[in-house]
Amino acid sequence: MKPRVLLALFIIPLGLIIAAVPQNKTTPFKLSAGELLSEATSRSQFVTPETVAGMIVSKDPSLRLIDVRNPDEFEKYSLPEAINIPLSELLSEQYTDILNQDIKMNVFYSNGSLTANEAWMVTRQLGYQNNFVLEGGLNYWFETIMNPEKPASTSPDEEFAKYDFRKSAGMALGGGGAVQAQSSQPSLPVKPAITGVPKKKKAAGGC
Amino acid sequence: MGPLAINEIISENTNFFLAFIIGIGFGFVLEQSGFSSSRKLAGIFYGYDAVVLKVFFTAAITAMLGLLFFSLFGWIDLDLVYVNPTYLTSAIIGGVIMGVGFIMGGYCPGTSFCGASIGKIDALVFIGGLFIGVMIFGLGYKLWEGVYMAAFKGFPKISESLGLSDGLFGLLLIIAALGMFWAAEWAEKRFPREEY
Repeated sequence: MKPRVLLALFIIPLGLIIAAVPQNKTTPFKLSAGELLSEATSRSQFVTPETVAGMIVSKDPSLRLIDVRNPDEFEKYSLPEAINIPLSELLSEQYTDILNQDIKMNVFYSNGSLTANEAWMVTRQLGYQNNFVLEGGLNYWFETIMNPEKPASTSPDEEFAKYDFRKSAGMALGGGGAVQAQSSQPSLPVKPAITGVPKKKKAAGGC
Repeated sequence: MGPLAINEIISENTNFFLAFIIGIGFGFVLEQSGFSSSRKLAGIFYGYDAVVLKVFFTAAITAMLGLLFFSLFGWIDLDLVYVNPTYLTSAIIGGVIMGVGFIMGGYCPGTSFCGASIGKIDALVFIGGLFIGVMIFGLGYKLWEGVYMAAFKGFPKISESLGLSDGLFGLLLIIAALGMFWAAEWAEKRFPREEY
């Protein structure tokens, strides 16, 4: 048999197979289950309501709040400047640039912290960085920032400072309570550092 | 999951080492296929010997099928594989210069080193010319930078420009290649040469 015929017999069926099967578009996971588990249990993905409130009040441009609840709930109430990415839409291509970036600090929030944490897990497993979760979600947000509870009079000064800060922030964000005069602002919890996404350079080649 | 070096499965140095081994294999195959003979290489332009076309197209479709199947099996992420940037003007001008040089010299840059490795004088002369060209290009870069960088088209793939899937384009390329092999063997019979 001629080499050309032999080649044709071998390579045409392969070509037919590759033309017929769908292209592999799966996105590989970047973290192993163990790595993800250790990150999730370290709870380093959580940011406190105070940090977020402080950033909102000071109009920190690096903050981006992402509401992962469904659009109806987002319409009813959302945090200032928040954008809505429902959890079910998380993997939609239009949001990739928002979720996988190294400029802003994305903070997911939902009513509790469960849905937001799910969103964080998915994005983290894809290797995305700079995504965080609002600790306790909106419920805890209302408890601490919008309607802070006055600490008992025997509480240490730090508790009062925290209370004053929460109250001022809550006022600035449209919650109840009056600002107390000469309230010493507690030092804000350090916000998580934004880490650069390692840009993968492609393998070069040539003749 | 490939590419190995990009995904840090092997180090950059191991990558170079593998490239070195593959390079030696590539050179060996080139030499054994007769690519160290400028007369054999130039045969493609006169029709009496189509080994260049056959070897390179076989290599291209083999590599293409390999990559597509590897991607299908999840062994390589094709999005991380380098696609040459296309500067249309310089691609056309460079193609013409390369083609004319190939007909005149009987070598392309890679095969000239292949010929030189077995001591072919014409290959050494060709390499001399190659370096003169490199010097002219490098030292006069300011003069042709405008032309060189003109008509940038990004990193296009033919399958994307045609709106076909990679697999379907692959099949068409295989059929085209086999058609060309058939035409080339017809030409070899039509324009035979006794000794070259």
